[in-house]
Amino acid sequence: MPVSWAQLFGLLGWGTLVGVDLVSFPQALLSRPLIAGAGAGLVLGEPEAGFKIGLVLELFALDVLPVGAARYPDYGAGVVGAVVLASGAEPTFVLGIATLYALLFATLGGWSLQWLRRVNGRTLESAAAGLAAGDAATIRSVQYRGVAGDLVRSALLTALAVGVAFWLRPRLPLTERMELVSAVAVGTAVAAAASGAIRSAGREARLRWLAAGAGLGLLMAALR
Amino acid sequence: MRRGFLRASLRLLAVQGAWNYERMTGVGIGYAAEPLLEDLQAEDPARHAEAAVRSAEYFNSHPYLAGLAVGALARAEYDQVPGAQITRLRTALTGPLGSLGDQFFWAGLVPAVVGGMIVGQVAGYGWWALGLGLFLYNAVRLATGHWALRTGLETGARVGHAVAESWLPRSIPQVGVAAGFLVGMALPLAMVGLLDGQPSWAVLIAAGTMLVALAAGWRFSPRVTSVRFGLAVLSLTVLLAWSWP
Amino acid sequence: MAIVLYRVDDRLVHGQVVIGWGRPLGISRIVLVDDDVAGSDWEQELYRMAVPAEIELRFARVADVAAQGAAWAADPRPTILLTGDIATMAAVSHAMPVGRVNLGGLHHKPGRSERLPFIFLAEDDLRQLQQLEREGVEVTAQDLPTSSPVSLGALT
Repeated sequence: MPVSWAQLFGLLGWGTLVGVDLVSFPQALLSRPLIAGAGAGLVLGEPEAGFKIGLVLELFALDVLPVGAARYPDYGAGVVGAVVLASGAEPTFVLGIATLYALLFATLGGWSLQWLRRVNGRTLESAAAGLAAGDAATIRSVQYRGVAGDLVRSALLTALAVGVAFWLRPRLPLTERMELVSAVAVGTAVAAAASGAIRSAGREARLRWLAAGAGLGLLMAALR
Repeated sequence: MRRGFLRASLRLLAVQGAWNYERMTGVGIGYAAEPLLEDLQAEDPARHAEAAVRSAEYFNSHPYLAGLAVGALARAEYDQVPGAQITRLRTALTGPLGSLGDQFFWAGLVPAVVGGMIVGQVAGYGWWALGLGLFLYNAVRLATGHWALRTGLETGARVGHAVAESWLPRSIPQVGVAAGFLVGMALPLAMVGLLDGQPSWAVLIAAGTMLVALAAGWRFSPRVTSVRFGLAVLSLTVLLAWSWP
Repeated sequence: MAIVLYRVDDRLVHGQVVIGWGRPLGISRIVLVDDDVAGSDWEQELYRMAVPAEIELRFARVADVAAQGAAWAADPRPTILLTGDIATMAAVSHAMPVGRVNLGGLHHKPGRSERLPFIFLAEDDLRQLQQLEREGVEVTAQDLPTSSPVSLGALT
């Protein structure tokens, strides 16, 4: 499936935006895989592919709580790349391998965040004198360099994820057998979200409400 | 101090922009506090210089509640609270504002909204579900940010009491229950939605993998995380699918 | 033993403690051993609001541990014992039996260097931790139950 320059720039811009949204700005939920995938699908004119891939990766993301400066994967760029990989293909054949692709980039994205935090630490060292004097220009400079660093990080990660996906897409042997990979991906993703939900629920009222919700969900699923 | 409110609010949207392991969000806090401290520069330049140094020191809290700290610490500077006491307040706010925000947003509102969006999407309301979820989440988040900065500025060193008496701690159980219910609902619906139209063997494989993944996570946590398990199992399955004669 | 986690964390009560460890361990009590906080009403109010209603938060001084430690350990409610620094945890371990200490967060200060993203230690800190291990206490660094524990030897 050919893409226009506008679509390509749209993907790069969207991937960069969801990347910086995770930590730096504006933290508006755009970085969630569900939103990142839907946006990439919209750019490519394949919203269904975006919804499905976003949903599988969202289930993985629900396993992680970014509490108290913990380290976590960055799903945004990987999800955008995975939607590119899946575009134009039979959804049930490509869902599994696209999930694997997004998980690889999510891990790489998590490492890149830690790398950026260390770069910010070095910026801090170089600005030590200004910070010790409470110089407003120094504080602004450290802040802007941090945000700019995250923009560059997210843009490079997106370019890599999207670029490799475009290269890989026509070379992937997508046969009926890949339905097996897709089924495994769905099972693993639901398990991830379930274990995260149970861990977050504790042993009080929330656990009971989780069970009640799951019961209602099962009923609705059976009636579909 | 009041005239810097809007700029400080906007700057707080990027409070984690220079996140690092040494000062964590300290620089972001200093950046957001700068507009609020401008009047102090004219009133008391010596105090302003001290305040500016303190403003960017080590700090970490939930980003959406950082306004409580920014406002309270700025107000305390205008109130001429002794510097050592301000530093103590700053340190003491770190854990509680992190805990409250993590409980309300990361473990509450985020899974509740995401769970609702998944339910809506599987039910066939894809764009509407995502749009409504984004709108509701950001409305709450922005309103909380505005409340946080205003409350911090109004209460200064008494911010802890003001937050303890506010809506925030009281609403955590409710949002937690909503999160549990909506994520619980979303799980079976997501599975069914993703396997829609697939043959029965695929449904069995997915269910079997789910049980194995849950057992592996339970038995081998924390070494086996869901992402590591997914990477390993999916890589093996891809190799199997491609190499099987 | 009802004390399921002995944790050193300079942010004391925060999200990693209440949600990260508290929920999967089903915690119903946190004992915060800190002389400064135990003597400050406004700080206690701050920490109380950080904890859900179903979790009891108890404040104690180091001097209280010898008299009350056995009762905390005998109480069947799952409990986290929390200190803000290594010296306080060492004092706790001298006043009551402690098998394992979790380093959950010690952040940057002048003189400290990074050992893990969430653990910064000065040489003196390290010596105190090694002394704890010589006294039979296992020391590991682990911010959340979902991350792998790191032994003290790997932090040197």
